[in-house]
Amino acid sequence: MTEAALEIVDASAGYAGRIVLDAIRLSARKGELTAIVGPNGHGKSTLLKAISGLVPVTSGEIRLDGSRIDRLRPDQIVERGVIQVPQGDLLFPAMTVHENLLMGAYANSGGAAERLDFVFTLLPKLKERRNQTAGTLSGGERRMCGIGRGLMAGGEVLMLDEPSLGLAPIVIEQIYEVIFNLRREGRTILLVEENAERIAEHADMIHLLDNGRIAWSGLGAELMARPEIVETYLGV
Amino acid sequence: MTSIRRDILIGIVCLALAAALPLAMPGRYVITQSTLFFIWAIVVVQWNLVLGIGGIFSLAQMALFATGAYATAMLGFYWKVPMLAAIPMAGVVTVAMGILIGLACLRLRGPYVALLTLAIAQVMYVLIVNDTDCFTTTGGCMPLFGGVRGIGQFGDIGLRALFPSKWYIAHYYVGLALLAVAVTISIVVIRGPLGLAFRALRDNPGYAMSRGISRFKYQLWIFAVSAFFTGIAGGFYAVHFRVVGPTVFSFSTLLFLIAMIVIGGLGSIWGPLLGAAVLMLADEGMRELSDYRNIGLGLLLAVFVIAWPNGLNGWLQRSRTSRG
Amino acid sequence: MDVLIQIVASGLTLGAMYAVATIGLSLVYGSLNMLNMAHGAILTLGGYICYAAIVHAGLNPALALLAAAFVCALVGLLIYFSAALPLLRAENFETNIFIATIGIGSVIENLMLKGFGPYPIPQPLAVDGQVVIGNVHIPLQNVFILGVAIVLMAAVAILLQRTSTGRAIRATSMNREAAQLMGVRVGRVYAQVLALSGALAAVSGIMISSIATLTPVMGADPMLKAFIVCVVAGLGNVYGAVIAAIALGLLEAATQYVLGVRWSFATLLLLVILVLIWRPYGLFGKQQVVRL
Repeated sequence: MTEAALEIVDASAGYAGRIVLDAIRLSARKGELTAIVGPNGHGKSTLLKAISGLVPVTSGEIRLDGSRIDRLRPDQIVERGVIQVPQGDLLFPAMTVHENLLMGAYANSGGAAERLDFVFTLLPKLKERRNQTAGTLSGGERRMCGIGRGLMAGGEVLMLDEPSLGLAPIVIEQIYEVIFNLRREGRTILLVEENAERIAEHADMIHLLDNGRIAWSGLGAELMARPEIVETYLGV
Repeated sequence: MTSIRRDILIGIVCLALAAALPLAMPGRYVITQSTLFFIWAIVVVQWNLVLGIGGIFSLAQMALFATGAYATAMLGFYWKVPMLAAIPMAGVVTVAMGILIGLACLRLRGPYVALLTLAIAQVMYVLIVNDTDCFTTTGGCMPLFGGVRGIGQFGDIGLRALFPSKWYIAHYYVGLALLAVAVTISIVVIRGPLGLAFRALRDNPGYAMSRGISRFKYQLWIFAVSAFFTGIAGGFYAVHFRVVGPTVFSFSTLLFLIAMIVIGGLGSIWGPLLGAAVLMLADEGMRELSDYRNIGLGLLLAVFVIAWPNGLNGWLQRSRTSRG
Repeated sequence: MDVLIQIVASGLTLGAMYAVATIGLSLVYGSLNMLNMAHGAILTLGGYICYAAIVHAGLNPALALLAAAFVCALVGLLIYFSAALPLLRAENFETNIFIATIGIGSVIENLMLKGFGPYPIPQPLAVDGQVVIGNVHIPLQNVFILGVAIVLMAAVAILLQRTSTGRAIRATSMNREAAQLMGVRVGRVYAQVLALSGALAAVSGIMISSIATLTPVMGADPMLKAFIVCVVAGLGNVYGAVIAAIALGLLEAATQYVLGVRWSFATLLLLVILVLIWRPYGLFGKQQVVRL
């Protein structure tokens, strides 16, 4: 069994007195693609925010390679190598693609030039548009820029919050092609998506988050073989 | 006890205490300073509606106060309107001004509103002060809006004639009555549908607007409602001091008042009154320090806001709920 | 023609001074959402420290300028730690910091009043002499100010565009959460921006007092004008603010000539009112798309 890179141990989190996540227990194993799926508004984004230190963890622990990260500042968590590509990209609109990518390497500037080459090879569209302002990119290009920015940090764990959000099906294919390539290269990926179908056969582990709790965990094939779960929770 | 009952109880207690004050401390200085406190309290309570409840960063209240004061003075001076009629008329004029300002601010957010309202107030001040052409020459040259020296001799509400030696006590009670009405209006607004609409707009604008709560309409309403009594307060100020000049536009008065709201507790019913009381007492206390007075006030302001960011009212609420 | 040269010369000088005063204000608002009402007082403080350094401590003018900038940078840091940091943790940050900085500004201003007295003092950091263009005599001091302003603005531009610190500042202004996800320590960015703003205010104060005089209340007018520039340009837009500052300077020089000093301020204010009604986000400002 591969060891866990990121472990969430009975962690609860919330905002201003409202508990959004209730005693979550899951791990993202090294070199694997772990997916969190479930209906919207039930805590998936909050989970990633809690891991990144943007939302306080009220009880339980979050560990990276065995050591606690849940009490650290967001910038410290990034330094430790836990990188999030947030929902909706959150690019810096007045900066160029190149500058956005440079910002990705802010916490880890050593080796940034090599990583930039890697990102440009993986995502040639970005190289084409490197001097274009991020605010003028198309939806798919923005998503690629966000992922490229995440890769620039060179971290251990890459988390993606709904990478298919708002994109046309063809573009979603391309984005997922990139993500699955990264998985094949051995990256540790934690992915949040509303719809499990697309990732079911590629994910090494799927967790179903419903009302702030893990309702089901298992392999993709298992999930697809259980239509009642798919219907109840994912409304497909 | 429901919150409305609690408000009414607090209101009655404060009213009773205030009504009894002249019997306990009939000294002229205390009474006149308290009357001034009432005037500022009215302005501050109304300002809180726009700033705290509406969430509109408007600095126009002093301009509205000045509108009420100047309207009263000019109605009396140029058209010889008796003050008891002039003051309510001035209130209406102020409402019109308030709606105008509200319209100008409609599309603006946050600090842009602050700057626009400040600019409007400053323009009014500059226009009044720089106008040196004589509009009338009776009793000396006087510009249309009174220029630097202001407008005087516009009439009185009659209490000075009725109580020649104790008129200031009569004015005290008039001020108290006006404040009581102003606070009642404030309670009605805050606890009523207008207040609820604004809380909805602030907490979840998308949902509120999808439910048909039009930000524009309510914004204009709150400007209008808050303007009326501010204008009345201005009118009362005019008859109390018997002269209206451009000093009502002073930035330091504006700051003094906004500090009352913030220190007392933005958006609460009793906060602004509490803040007004604290600041006027502090101001009295600092008077002794002469030179160091302004340093003391500035320091007090900064320390209070940093230590109690939700105002004194917010702090009191918190200690009540945590104890309960 | 001579009149035009005169207006352009004084307009550019005014514009340059306003630009330096405005950059700091705009950066602070852009990254922190904070209207720093102590800016005028810090500007004045810079002027007085320069004066004291030259007259009382006998420092040479360049060192005095650096000393003033340094001290005012420290004041900016102090404002961050004592006011901004605690208030960021609470609600109503914008209103609260507005009031708190008014208080702090008042304290600084009154301390100077106590320390140096209310009477105007000439700023010793001045250059004598004139430059003659056509029939117009332009004080060398004006040219000097323009030169210093250009150097400063270029330095700030390089900082913002080419250094990772500058990029972090810009990133924080554009999207705080995204900046945090990049590993930017936003607290440190805030402190840096407030310190930088203090230093720039100091230089601006020295420049303004070298043309006028030093008085404890000299900061109020430039600060108001800097706010006007920021608002007209669109809060947080630093480059737009520089352009607007120069435009304001030229406009002020022109209206002063045509209408006289008395009415130029009123005209400016009317202009601001009209701009804001026409363009609620300033001339260059962009509406923030709010994700509900």
